[in-house]
Amino acid sequence: MKLILSTGNIMEGGSSIRRDPTQKSNAELVASFRNNFAAHSLQTDGMVNGNGTAKTHRSNYKTWTHMADDGRMELEVPKLSFDRSGLQEEREQYDITLKLFYLSGAPIEKRAVQTREAVNLVLKELHMPSLNLLIISFPGIYFDEEEDCPDKISTRGPVEAEPEPLESQIETWKVLEQLHKEGIVRKLGIAEFGHDRLQTFLEKTTLRPSVDQINLRDCCSVPKSLLKLAKSQHVELLVHNDCSNVLPRGTVRELLGPGPDGAGVLAETTKPEEKQKTLHGEAHAPEEGLKGEVQPLWVVKYTAVVKNRGVVEDKGYFAVAELTE
Amino acid sequence: MGLLAIGTPLDWPSAKKVASHVREWGIEQLLAIWRRAKGKERDALLWGDEIEYIVVALDDQQRLVKLSLRQADILHALAEDEELIKQGGGVPDLNGEKAPTNKKRAPTFHPEFGRFMLEATPGQPWGIDFKDLLDVEQDMKWRRKIAKEHMEANEYPITLTTFPLLGDRKSLVPYYPPHGERLRSQFVPDEIANPHIRFPTLAANIRSRRGRKVELNVPVFHDTKTPWPFKDPTVDYDLHEFPEDADVRNGAAKDNCVYMDAMAFGMGSCCLQITFQAKNIDEGRKMYDQLSPLGPILLALTAATPIYKGFLVDTDVRWNQVSGAVDCRTREELGEVPLKHDRWRIPKSRYASNSTYISQDSRLRPEYLDPDLVVDEDLKAKLVEGGMDDLLATHFAHLFIRDPLVVFEEDLKELDLTKTDHFENLQSTNWQHMRFKPPPPGNDTGWRVEVRPMEIQITDFENAAFSIFVVLITRAILSFNLNFYIPIPRTTENMETAHKRDAVLNEKFYFRRNPVMRPSASPQSGRNTPEPRHDRPSRPGTPLGPVEDEYELMTVDEIINGKAGGFPGLIPLVESYLDSLNVDVETRCELAQYLALIKGRANGRLWTAAKWIRHFVREHKDYKMDSVVSDGLAYDLVKAAERITNQEGRDGFAKEMLGDVRDES
Repeated sequence: MKLILSTGNIMEGGSSIRRDPTQKSNAELVASFRNNFAAHSLQTDGMVNGNGTAKTHRSNYKTWTHMADDGRMELEVPKLSFDRSGLQEEREQYDITLKLFYLSGAPIEKRAVQTREAVNLVLKELHMPSLNLLIISFPGIYFDEEEDCPDKISTRGPVEAEPEPLESQIETWKVLEQLHKEGIVRKLGIAEFGHDRLQTFLEKTTLRPSVDQINLRDCCSVPKSLLKLAKSQHVELLVHNDCSNVLPRGTVRELLGPGPDGAGVLAETTKPEEKQKTLHGEAHAPEEGLKGEVQPLWVVKYTAVVKNRGVVEDKGYFAVAELTE
Repeated sequence: MGLLAIGTPLDWPSAKKVASHVREWGIEQLLAIWRRAKGKERDALLWGDEIEYIVVALDDQQRLVKLSLRQADILHALAEDEELIKQGGGVPDLNGEKAPTNKKRAPTFHPEFGRFMLEATPGQPWGIDFKDLLDVEQDMKWRRKIAKEHMEANEYPITLTTFPLLGDRKSLVPYYPPHGERLRSQFVPDEIANPHIRFPTLAANIRSRRGRKVELNVPVFHDTKTPWPFKDPTVDYDLHEFPEDADVRNGAAKDNCVYMDAMAFGMGSCCLQITFQAKNIDEGRKMYDQLSPLGPILLALTAATPIYKGFLVDTDVRWNQVSGAVDCRTREELGEVPLKHDRWRIPKSRYASNSTYISQDSRLRPEYLDPDLVVDEDLKAKLVEGGMDDLLATHFAHLFIRDPLVVFEEDLKELDLTKTDHFENLQSTNWQHMRFKPPPPGNDTGWRVEVRPMEIQITDFENAAFSIFVVLITRAILSFNLNFYIPIPRTTENMETAHKRDAVLNEKFYFRRNPVMRPSASPQSGRNTPEPRHDRPSRPGTPLGPVEDEYELMTVDEIINGKAGGFPGLIPLVESYLDSLNVDVETRCELAQYLALIKGRANGRLWTAAKWIRHFVREHKDYKMDSVVSDGLAYDLVKAAERITNQEGRDGFAKEMLGDVRDES
């Protein structure tokens, strides 16, 4: 079964505000999902207690998620409804950027399908026919600055994958070229490419990336060789603050699991010691969550900025994972 | 303020008689503007900064600095510069507006109240394109260069908020004796003001309406050898030419204070102002409200005014002096005597922190409004009758409690609804820390908000940094739909707090704890809500807590840099905003320098100009620890300011104020 996680527009809720400069930068992603799940699943009980805070309880996931009716095994968490979202102005007013993170462990050969799926979801969400910029992030690549930048290390997230061979990246690139040809995406970009990788990539692709997005934070130490290459090849170097490993192992399970911070979509993974407890006769709530192994496939981040006003009108994430029994 | 309109200005007794007339026509014009422009939509963010300079003349041989009163000559020289005009620059008041022949418009220059002042603005408004943001500082430097090129070799445009020796009865060139008919000041001559008839009339009518001279008493800085109690030794108690000469004999000069008696002491201060164009009237109203609580914080952060009339003072900013310098309130309005002739008591000067919120925003609780607001109910009724909503009508009916100060006889013959002169007469003489500006007639300019509290900084690097910081804050406010509402009286208190010496380090300011909407536990409030994105009505069933729980006292550091587990900080908010945009490496690094300056000022790592100047004076070999800033010391200070302007700390001088931020570039 496929799980489609969404955040909705996160600009207002505060989850995209850096609370702590040292925090891991996928905190935004995690907090956004968590807030959105909570907003949909937590019910306020009528009574307000003495402290002025209302008591809440979590409703069964079946009431706020949605299983596709047409037999596809797709669970939307929470239920998607594209009729109410969307942007307020005309297409040309916006700069729409989409950053697609392919995750480690997901099948590389399915990227063509996944990329379309991600782009379509965002276009549907924004009610727009096309994007300005699509940046793709391959698993396992970390941009290396010349100097040590203590701030930066924390923003990488755990290293869980080796970079894949350039050949497979170029193969993936063809999918993007096709989207460009169809007029769905105007500019293409890659993330975290250092000088060597970028140079080879430029040599081997027909439609070349216009953007290389690197994680720089406040350390302004871009290797000169990269700066030079980018300038001479008209590749714009953009700054970002995302985790390269945006969804480390276990994050989805944590978000959807039965724990106090989870959304209660997934059941507890049964561990031997818990069985032990049940044997000793402790009362256990009946499991109502879904069971199985979770494999995250991709994450997409989207932003829509009103160009001549510099206002970020919409920003959010989708993540898709595979649940196998 | 257009200066070309010349006419016969009315003296105060005559102006007073036609005040209601001007107000009524002003309201008619306002309604015409409002009807015409309320539906104006989708305007781009355009913004502009204004830099004000003091022009000084240096005498290196005698180590003397004087104020140059050659504003008119300098403006003429600028207006006659063919090359500058060809590039779209010059002096619009003298040249008129001309289209540029090439792409980048040269800056324009404008007269100011002080005859020793100059104002410069970019030739065209800035946008939000990041390339524009990086041009701001270069443009400011260009302005300064052009200004300097049109001055004498020994004259300099400097950006100190006040001239340290203003009012010493001698440091003016050309020299004029004090005590003229218009200002009646014992310290400065009438010639201190711009000779355009509007300015002396303004000064004279303020004095006349008030019934005595304006009265500024700034607490002197109590140094180790300052005579105590301190009695301003420069006050002359033996003048007998004008009735106002008796002011000081009646106690106008207070103990332990530096006493000043003319509009020039306030309106002669330089500040850094920024004006933003909003998308539409609603966005303008929202920005006006949300930026208002930031005013005192910006004032404290930019503090640069520790010297008045040759004395170190115990305050850091100019604000209250400007406020007092144009305070036209009568004794009745001030509450010193019972109300008999005047209509009401008025708690604030026309130059003061603002007293209204105007946004039709569901987050605006009635508790935030100023309970002491004075409103002209008749004029308000007219506005409401004309279709204006209550909040906005209240705002303008509040501004219109004032009398027009400068009225030209010729303008009273016929009401021209395509013009805005009568409306602007009141609007532009209400100098609050935020100003909400309707679209002017005749061009496509939209609704605008002017941010007015900041003090001018010595370097253009700093001026650019603060301008860009405020621009980015407005973008963060709109993007995150931030909520900074606190009760207006708290902002009024904060404004006072910002005056204290080193307020930026030592004082606490009321500020809203949580600027973002709480993620709610109600299923109706998720992403798929049918309500529009902004201004959703407050959810029924979620009772709001007491207003007092929404804000707390915070240091400037906490407000700017954030507080663990509390307010996220304005800089992190700006950075979070930048994280959501596509910003190129070079731009992000430039912006980081600007933000580093603001961070440093807030956490005390970098000094404000006020602290640096105070330190400079106290460490100077000529200083006798008696609060007196001597002529030679003032000369060295101005020379130091000039050096800092050019070097920006790269030569190691004034690093305490600027840090190493500039070294990396």
